[in-house]
Amino acid sequence: MVPVLILMTLIVFMIFYFAPGDPVSRIAGPNVTQEVYDNIMQKHGLDQPFVVQYFKFAKSVVKGDLGISILQDRPVVEMIRERLPVTLQIGLLGFLITFIIAIPAGVIAAVKKNTVVDYLCMSGSLLGIAIPTFWFGMLLLYVFAYKLRWFPISGDGTIKQLVLPAFAIGLTNAAITARMVRSSMLEVLKQDYVRTAKSKGLYEKTVVYSHALKNAMIPIISLMGLRLGWIIGGSVALEIIFSIPGIGRLMVDSILARDYPVVQGAMIVLTSSIIFANILADILYSVVDPRIRYS
Amino acid sequence: MKVNKMEKVTLVILAFALLLSCVLTGCSKEDSKKTEKTLVIGYDRDAEIMDTIKTAWYSDALIYIHDRLVTRDYEFGYKPGLAERWDVSDDGLVWTFHLRKDVKFHDDKEFKAEDVKWTIDTIKDPNTGSPFSGDLEAIKEVNIVDEHTVDVVLNYPFPNLLYNLSGTASGIHPANAYETYGDDYGKRVVIGTGPYKLEEWTPGDKTVLVKNEDYKWGPEWMSNRGPALIDKIVLKIIPDENSRMMELEVGGIHILRNVPETYVEKLEKNDDITIYSEPATKLGYLAYATDKEPFTDVRVRRAINHALNREEIIQFVLRGIGEEAYGYLPPALTDEYLEESEELAYKYDPEKAKQLLAEAGYPDGLELTLSADNSSKSSKLAEIIQVQLKEVNIDAKIQPYDSAGYADMLREGKQELFIREYSWSNADIIDWFLLSSRFPYPNHSRWVDEKSDELITYAAQRPTWDERAEAYKEVQRYLIDEAVWAPIYIPMNMIAARKEVKNFKYHPWMLQYNDGFDLEVSGK
Repeated sequence: MVPVLILMTLIVFMIFYFAPGDPVSRIAGPNVTQEVYDNIMQKHGLDQPFVVQYFKFAKSVVKGDLGISILQDRPVVEMIRERLPVTLQIGLLGFLITFIIAIPAGVIAAVKKNTVVDYLCMSGSLLGIAIPTFWFGMLLLYVFAYKLRWFPISGDGTIKQLVLPAFAIGLTNAAITARMVRSSMLEVLKQDYVRTAKSKGLYEKTVVYSHALKNAMIPIISLMGLRLGWIIGGSVALEIIFSIPGIGRLMVDSILARDYPVVQGAMIVLTSSIIFANILADILYSVVDPRIRYS
Repeated sequence: MKVNKMEKVTLVILAFALLLSCVLTGCSKEDSKKTEKTLVIGYDRDAEIMDTIKTAWYSDALIYIHDRLVTRDYEFGYKPGLAERWDVSDDGLVWTFHLRKDVKFHDDKEFKAEDVKWTIDTIKDPNTGSPFSGDLEAIKEVNIVDEHTVDVVLNYPFPNLLYNLSGTASGIHPANAYETYGDDYGKRVVIGTGPYKLEEWTPGDKTVLVKNEDYKWGPEWMSNRGPALIDKIVLKIIPDENSRMMELEVGGIHILRNVPETYVEKLEKNDDITIYSEPATKLGYLAYATDKEPFTDVRVRRAINHALNREEIIQFVLRGIGEEAYGYLPPALTDEYLEESEELAYKYDPEKAKQLLAEAGYPDGLELTLSADNSSKSSKLAEIIQVQLKEVNIDAKIQPYDSAGYADMLREGKQELFIREYSWSNADIIDWFLLSSRFPYPNHSRWVDEKSDELITYAAQRPTWDERAEAYKEVQRYLIDEAVWAPIYIPMNMIAARKEVKNFKYHPWMLQYNDGFDLEVSGK
């Protein structure tokens, strides 16, 4: 985990160092004299060479201090703490929706293979894969917030604001997951032990849900582990469309303004969450399949 | 306790129902306060710091939180604000401001001369790194005469002082605010004497302001002088343009002060919304690095001016909403704008352009790069300018940048042709962009010219406002003759207000100035 984080911060740092533009232009505005401009650059240590800047940054990160935002002049940790919860809420709710829709849909499609139900589920999921999340978000916003007015158009701080973006994430992710569940289920249903279970006279439902599904879950869990990190990082567009001040928007705004301490901080959080989701997936394997042990 | 399957399912359903009802009822608290009048204003982007001294990117909330020494009325005239009157010494070097005696800050501190001194001194202190310090360059020192009188001593006569003291940036803070409030100042706390107090600021989301009940020192030219008629003002950040328009249509926001031209047609069809438009104090122009070949030749600069079909550009980029520009200042600055700009300037004439290019030694045309930022407006501008330049055999390659990269590129001087739009309501914008002392930044057109330095400095330091205005006209005549820029358009300020907004009156100086005073909002 540590090497990944070091590599990531180094890359982000390099991109920012060599990219054109600096954060001071925005604070300073067009009407500032060179003297004041240099003063501000100096205040934030932006006039120092790359290596010095990076080590200063790395030293404070180790101490748990992500630095001070150049534009907002406050601790990055504090800014992330403000912005992260709402992003996590949307991500997790979206994740839950993914699960609730994808697993039954995938299982039913697998069991009723080559029937109308299967075709419906699979063409629905094909559509879901083809539609970009942000576009689906705009569609939901237009129909349910603008036309029907069931939900707020822009974030209002209540739980209602989470529903539409969570559905946008949930449904588009459910599409790909459902296909995965279906193919994984088909694989498992062909196996001998399933036939044995059926010939023992067990109910079809018991066979499918408690015998087959458990084994079919392994590839799905690793997919979900990858998606969880992606869901959290990928809600940037939705946060803009739904006017939700989450961490994705913080990151985009900071990138545009070249406020690199904030971008670094947000990237560390995102990278960690992706790593964490993968560890979680690994642990879940052993829960689903007791044969997998980690020593 | 043994729970069978049926009961389990019922329990889960019950739990969900409970959760759902919590969610749905939880947000209906607002209904209890029906009489409160709230004005919600939509914005695309938030400020980073809530402090006029430390950033050039102000939140409009600061317009309501602070008062300034000088105000400007609907006709752009300078009128008393926190200063009830002022006198100028005969040599124009000492300005004496007589302050109001009945003013209190939001923290109950009485407003005194020391507050004015502290605010100006802090801005001027190079260690503060205030972007506004340059605007107050003319001020030598601020002297407290008595508790309610200050002398502002200048280095040279500078009638534009009134302009600088009436801007958002010169909102008066209580003396020693940074010591008193520490790191919270500009983040959780901002103290002014203005009609609204800061209640809550969630960066990137919204700013909530509540009315200052004690306020009774509003400018004399407003129909109400305080306290404000609107109880609460909410500045709501909605980054997506589409969402902003939808929110306006459903009534989630009441007023939008920067409506893009592309939405005007749609909003006009909505009976609940009225669009008010007035020429903005903005200017869109094509500029070039005047210190590089071929732009060192005035004939090439004039040729580029002749090549632009401004009417077509306005149709294509602004949907016809805007005015053609030929001068260097927006006509809304009635005192300083040079009336005959259009007659003197270079109208659309591709033949003339080609002829000038040939005379300058480029009979076969030119190959140049055209830089623009990557906003949709600039990209469109770049496209049509490219086409129009092509007609006079100038081959322009478009080079897009993101906004921070664009500023950097200009600072480094890599530009050839480039697109800019400024928004400023004073003639001193010419100083900023064209004085040789501003080279290379913000003098992006890299215009270093003795004659123009002389004319501009002379104009800026005239002892009276009228003499200054006349002198700036001379500056503009010279700039037009030299074709330093190719001015293109003056956009319109378009403001969309819902039917709940009452007594809308366009204020040319600060669009938000009169909220709660002349402008009102009907209660729910």
